[in-house]
Amino acid sequence: MNVLPNEEELMVKNAAREFLEAECPPSLARAIEQDERGYSVELWEKMASLGWFGISLPESHGGGGLPVTYLGLILEECGRAIAPVPFHSTATAALAVARHGSADQQQAILPRAARGDLIMTWAVQEQDPRLRADAIQCRAEVDGDNLVIRGVKHFVDNYSAAELMVTAVRTAAPTSDNEGITLVIVPTNAAGIAETRLTTLAKDSQSKLTMDGVRVPLSNVIGEVNQGWPATSDMLDIGTALLCAQITGAARKDAEMAIDYAKNRVAFGRPIAGFQSIQHLCADMIVWTDGAQLLTYEALWKLDSGLPFGVEVSQAKAFTNDKCQATVRSSQQIHGGIGFMMEFDLHLWYRRVTAWTMRLGTSFEHRARVARALLDQPGQVRLGMNLQPVG
Amino acid sequence: MEFAFTPEQEALRSEVQQFIAENVTPEIVAELEDTGIRRRGPKTREMYKGIAERGWIGISWPKEYGGQAGSRIDQYIVEEEFARVGITVGGAGSGAPAILAAGTEEQKQEFLPGIIRGEISFALGFTEPQAGADLAGLQCRAVRDGDEYVINGQKMYTTAAHYATHIYLMARTDPEAPRHRGISIFLIPMDTPGITVRPLWTIQNNPPAPLGTTYGDARTNETFFENVRVPASCMLGEENQGWYVGAMGLNLDRVGASRYLISIQRDEDIVNWVKDNEIEGIAMREDPTVRDRLADMWIEGQVCRLMTLRSMSIVESDGVFTYEGSAEKVFAPEHGVRTTETIAQMLGPYGQLLNGSEDAVEDGVFAHNLMGAFQSGINHGSVQVMRDQVARRGLGMPRV
Repeated sequence: MNVLPNEEELMVKNAAREFLEAECPPSLARAIEQDERGYSVELWEKMASLGWFGISLPESHGGGGLPVTYLGLILEECGRAIAPVPFHSTATAALAVARHGSADQQQAILPRAARGDLIMTWAVQEQDPRLRADAIQCRAEVDGDNLVIRGVKHFVDNYSAAELMVTAVRTAAPTSDNEGITLVIVPTNAAGIAETRLTTLAKDSQSKLTMDGVRVPLSNVIGEVNQGWPATSDMLDIGTALLCAQITGAARKDAEMAIDYAKNRVAFGRPIAGFQSIQHLCADMIVWTDGAQLLTYEALWKLDSGLPFGVEVSQAKAFTNDKCQATVRSSQQIHGGIGFMMEFDLHLWYRRVTAWTMRLGTSFEHRARVARALLDQPGQVRLGMNLQPVG
Repeated sequence: MEFAFTPEQEALRSEVQQFIAENVTPEIVAELEDTGIRRRGPKTREMYKGIAERGWIGISWPKEYGGQAGSRIDQYIVEEEFARVGITVGGAGSGAPAILAAGTEEQKQEFLPGIIRGEISFALGFTEPQAGADLAGLQCRAVRDGDEYVINGQKMYTTAAHYATHIYLMARTDPEAPRHRGISIFLIPMDTPGITVRPLWTIQNNPPAPLGTTYGDARTNETFFENVRVPASCMLGEENQGWYVGAMGLNLDRVGASRYLISIQRDEDIVNWVKDNEIEGIAMREDPTVRDRLADMWIEGQVCRLMTLRSMSIVESDGVFTYEGSAEKVFAPEHGVRTTETIAQMLGPYGQLLNGSEDAVEDGVFAHNLMGAFQSGINHGSVQVMRDQVARRGLGMPRV
């Protein structure tokens, strides 16, 4: 038991920080907010050359074969630098293929993803954005060797940058054990997809997709038709854990900016860092982000250890949502008026962290899942025990 | 990162759990519940010998002083299991960490084996009527006189003073020096002439708090020193360096199993209670609002757990705390209060019923916690002082 990152983990994390401090200034995130493509091709290519995109993909497919924790540490640094690249959505989708895809799917996708030659995303949520099987209404029917999809997918990241999207569709009526969902790889250029771009608080790339008779070969199905919910849920959990890492990285940087600002900003004849009201707020911000980080690391560690990790992911996301939001809001408070001027960089972090807290599950949804695990199965509970997710 | 205990550590935990199942008899529970003898009844003391024989006290201490030269994590596991049934074994509050770090060879030999055997225990003599959170303002004087020191002054909240064998005393040895640099620490037998202990009764006095209450002690003390003469060899560490020796001990006192359990045990208690109980047919486990709050508390409890494990990890890797111990001492006590107050609103009027009352829930433990939980935000460094430390030591913000 040692919850501190070990030497190898720190080496990867520190290398990522150094690289991003040199290559990804806030001006890049600011510029990409106005960019049609929605990401920095140059930064993406540099990151690809470092092998980051394959770090936790299998070595047999050109990846680094390292635990997902390493990917989480890099994404934490990407959050810190608010790096404008479609890394999170690609990693989430690629890991779904690595964990659940067929040998052919893995062979076709993973080497390209590991090299950075393939941008991917995932499409699960709909107009009812809850992360549960019965919220998936987008229909698909088997027609010969094809699946034909009709319906809406909402809040899809990086659609225009991505080439493939791992999509959850309904192929049979809902059952009590979540059958009837099929997970399938859909090319984003397939005929019949109409995209509406959304304007988000983060000013990043999200879209609403209307699919009208989109035909995809059955060989693109991940696993079995109608049996896709466990893989979908697993993909969502991993994506959520990685998003927590990204949020905590961004929130900590945001807190550090407030601490530095307080040390330099003079009011009432002294740096405001000398006032206890400011000190205590800063102390809270660090305690909160520490808590979010520890919960996130434990979730990633459980995933890598082959243990049930869904409850830990929900713990991490609920806490991260609330406390990282409080952190970036407090940072705005400490900055005062200049913090909400467009020319000042702070809002780049505030807007992203805030938007990210609303994605991949609200605090209420995740706490409901924790409550199910605690209350809806027999036996006494104890903090630190392995809890099976319920639903 | 490694969030699991080793198989050996899990085996140790099972062994301790089995010992508890076999040895913590109803008679011992009755002794533990009797706040008058304060968990030190004859049967409890007898059992304590069995714990010591198994090498479970002072596991991380060097072998020459009766320890096992084992891991701090092992010690944490043993302390956690015993703390869950209301038994304190060793524990950072024993004064031992500071003795190990700053004591002379003679002091280590004199105290550590005795602490392990349960024959020596310390009351903490830090706080004074005019020096609480601002501890460095303490005025209790120790004046050198030949090979002795003569001590005069008053200490407050010396909780164990009426049964401890020794007091771990902070006193001023140089009133001319800057206040942090004129303080020394003494390890003094309680039966030294000139020491008087008077009870201070807490709000838990009557009725007595049930076992498992956070800060359920009915009694603490004030301790007076009148021309108390002690040999100079009672001093721990160097003269006038006592602030730094004491800070080291306090840092270790703020982390660990008992500190963690003070803040989280009621998370487990209420979830387990709600699973199996209803109030007049009302099943709170089905109420979406209650479920949301319970999950919220549970998650905060996990953060307390992880912050404790982080502190243990730092100690175990021979690291140095900058702010982590203080961070834990901010989050956990305040979490404990939030949970306690939430439980009150869940139980409604049943939640106010004290031990022994008709219709009291679980012997009134949740009601007694409402008198105890907030104490953990005050004792051993208030959460405000802890925030000062996070900001100043952790974040490099200036002193006011």
